[in-house]
Amino acid sequence: MLTVLAHSHDPFYNQAFEEFVFQSFQDDDVFLLWQNSPTVIVGSFQNICREVHVETLRRLGIPVVRRMSGGGTVYHDLGNVNYTYITRQDGPLDYDRCLQPVIEALNDIGVPARKNRTCDIAIGEGKISGSAQRSAGGRVLHHGTLLFEADLTVLDQITTHHKNDCFQSKGTVSAICPVTNIADHLAAPMTLEEFKERLLDRMVPPGCPRLTLTAEQESEVCRLRDEKYLSWEWTWGRTPAFTYEKSGTFAGIPIRVAYQAKKGIVSNAEIDCDAVDGDEAARLLNGQRLDPEGFDTICRALAGNRAEELMDWLL
Amino acid sequence: MEKELTMPKLRPEMENGVLCAWLKEEGDTVAAGEPLFEIETDKVVNQIEATESGVLKKQLFEEGDTVNVETPVAILETK
Repeated sequence: MLTVLAHSHDPFYNQAFEEFVFQSFQDDDVFLLWQNSPTVIVGSFQNICREVHVETLRRLGIPVVRRMSGGGTVYHDLGNVNYTYITRQDGPLDYDRCLQPVIEALNDIGVPARKNRTCDIAIGEGKISGSAQRSAGGRVLHHGTLLFEADLTVLDQITTHHKNDCFQSKGTVSAICPVTNIADHLAAPMTLEEFKERLLDRMVPPGCPRLTLTAEQESEVCRLRDEKYLSWEWTWGRTPAFTYEKSGTFAGIPIRVAYQAKKGIVSNAEIDCDAVDGDEAARLLNGQRLDPEGFDTICRALAGNRAEELMDWLL
Repeated sequence: MEKELTMPKLRPEMENGVLCAWLKEEGDTVAAGEPLFEIETDKVVNQIEATESGVLKKQLFEEGDTVNVETPVAILETK
């Protein structure tokens, strides 16, 4: 077992870092610990618009990042610690092989954790960790969250109450579970930094390699971040095809919005509402990329100072 | 020779998987070991690699389709 020390809190960089390590360190098992500044991370094959309220995130300045593993949407902040466990993939897929060592390490450092559902870790009935995997080329990457002292109110806001059900879409739907922070369940208190240090010491005992990326490797990670994880094609273009329809009241009169999107490109857009020029709406929306900034520009053109209100009808 | 590639059964309980992405288009040349498509099951995204070289002749499902295990998903023309 070896570790590569991660220093960045940039969520786009960290996705690229993890993928780079997965591809480049093939000869040994790897355990990583890393943290992201506030961000929403969606699964490889999820419809972002359905899972989270995109406009709320845009207003809060919280980025959305697509990861390379399966599963549902998670919220990260600096009270949350992420771990990655990379090992050989021999035989059938098996969560326990990756989960058990982490649970044992948590128990050893005084966290009363246990396995729950397929691939969660819980304390009592509260979830402290969700995980997902990617397998490729005979290797498996297993990663998960560890809620230590995360802001659970934001998590709740983003993933529960703003779930959007106007979408008919394929793709993976997130499960919603009661969560709890590890720090609230410790017999002997420790800081987040102590938690990370002790967990790393259990998983990667002293004597095992603790590596840092070379300047050359570092620039490879940055290239992957820029070309893949920051690209529209990866984050939005991979959205599973969907049909959207929503009706209600806009500017005090009835409105009905409908469109489809395939590979992230809008088609068959209709806005039926006496307060909005329907022909202009169709002209602006059809062929438009699924993209909050682009949608915002269109809403400004169509609805002027009611742009934000119209945006809530579109995404 | 035409060869059918099927949805793999990755664990004993697996009944189906979602074909989430084609990594090769119809007509593309594929070398053994190269990634062909991605499937998702139980929170795992699996990259499926070609076991032999050839040309991807036909994609039998679209991205997003749920496919039962051992059902053919692609036809590979091998030499």
